[in-house]
Amino acid sequence: MSTRPPDFDELVGSDVESAERERLQRVHDLLVAAGPPPELGTRLSTAPSAGRRIGHSRRRAAILALAATLGAAIFGVGYLVASSDRPSTDRVVAMTGSGGASASLEIFEADKAGNWPMELRVDGLGPSAGGGLYQLWLTMNGELAALCGSFLAERDGSTVVPMNAPWKLDDFDGWVVVEQGKQLPLLST
Amino acid sequence: MDDLQRREPTDGELIQRIAVGERTAFDELYRRYARAVLGLALRRLGDRGRAEDASQEAFVAIWRSARTYDANRGSGAPWLYAVARNAITDGLRRTPEPPVDVPDGPGREPDPSERAEDAWQAWRVHRALEVLPEHERPVIELAYWRGLSQSEIAESLGIPLGTVKTRTRSALARLAHELDGELE
Repeated sequence: MSTRPPDFDELVGSDVESAERERLQRVHDLLVAAGPPPELGTRLSTAPSAGRRIGHSRRRAAILALAATLGAAIFGVGYLVASSDRPSTDRVVAMTGSGGASASLEIFEADKAGNWPMELRVDGLGPSAGGGLYQLWLTMNGELAALCGSFLAERDGSTVVPMNAPWKLDDFDGWVVVEQGKQLPLLST
Repeated sequence: MDDLQRREPTDGELIQRIAVGERTAFDELYRRYARAVLGLALRRLGDRGRAEDASQEAFVAIWRSARTYDANRGSGAPWLYAVARNAITDGLRRTPEPPVDVPDGPGREPDPSERAEDAWQAWRVHRALEVLPEHERPVIELAYWRGLSQSEIAESLGIPLGTVKTRTRSALARLAHELDGELE
């Protein structure tokens, strides 16, 4: 997703002497060319342990994931026995944004009334600069169409929040996350 | 006033302290360069997971190679760039997936030297952003990467429009100072 560069004249005004103006203009050009720095996310939020080998973390992660999966499977059997009315997953929607931000929206089966319970997992999106809310919207033809919930992001950029969509999901063609009151998608399908 | 007078250690000084095993220097260097390194890895590898792996490998390489840094041969940033780039390239060789360069924009594909120049400039810019104080950084991010006008930034941050303009100009001047080598 690209954002239109800001107007340099609006940024610095007209009362800057020419040499300084030229210098700031070049900084402006460099910022535009460089694009946004990526958000670090949870995994890179701190420096790696320097005294030991940290490579192959994905392989380690895969082993941990396998162990977690086995654990979850054992837990899941017990859980299903105890709670057979937990909704099953209907679909999972992936969203991406600038700076490496991403989200996964797990949509569970609708209840009898037609509500779709969901769980939104966001990574790489910290609190908004103004401290405002983020909103999850269904879209139609690129326009915000139906609000599905609001949330605040964790400081480390990783947030998990339950939501609900009382809409006919097939009537829409996409999902976005925006800042409240804004149209610009920060995450989109 | 003390804050204004206290001089931050240069990148080169931090590398020299890392060379003798000083963990706090490593943490500070990580704070300054983590996003620049990840940005470089993403630009080179495309895939977020592989880029995160490569970033961690790069910092381990920095820790291990710090003793080879020679301040007489240049400042810290180019040395860090070279070590990080090599670590990322090594990671690329180990994982046989095809490299995916993030497109720089519409039009013709940039040639390798242009890509290298772009990567270096992005590295320097992303590093420079880390020097911005907390109150200046949001105005730059909202203006450049969220596409907000100055009025919208004022509304979003709940501060007067004049303050937004002052902070923006101050931030650009601070970045210009930090990026002096790029502006010559």
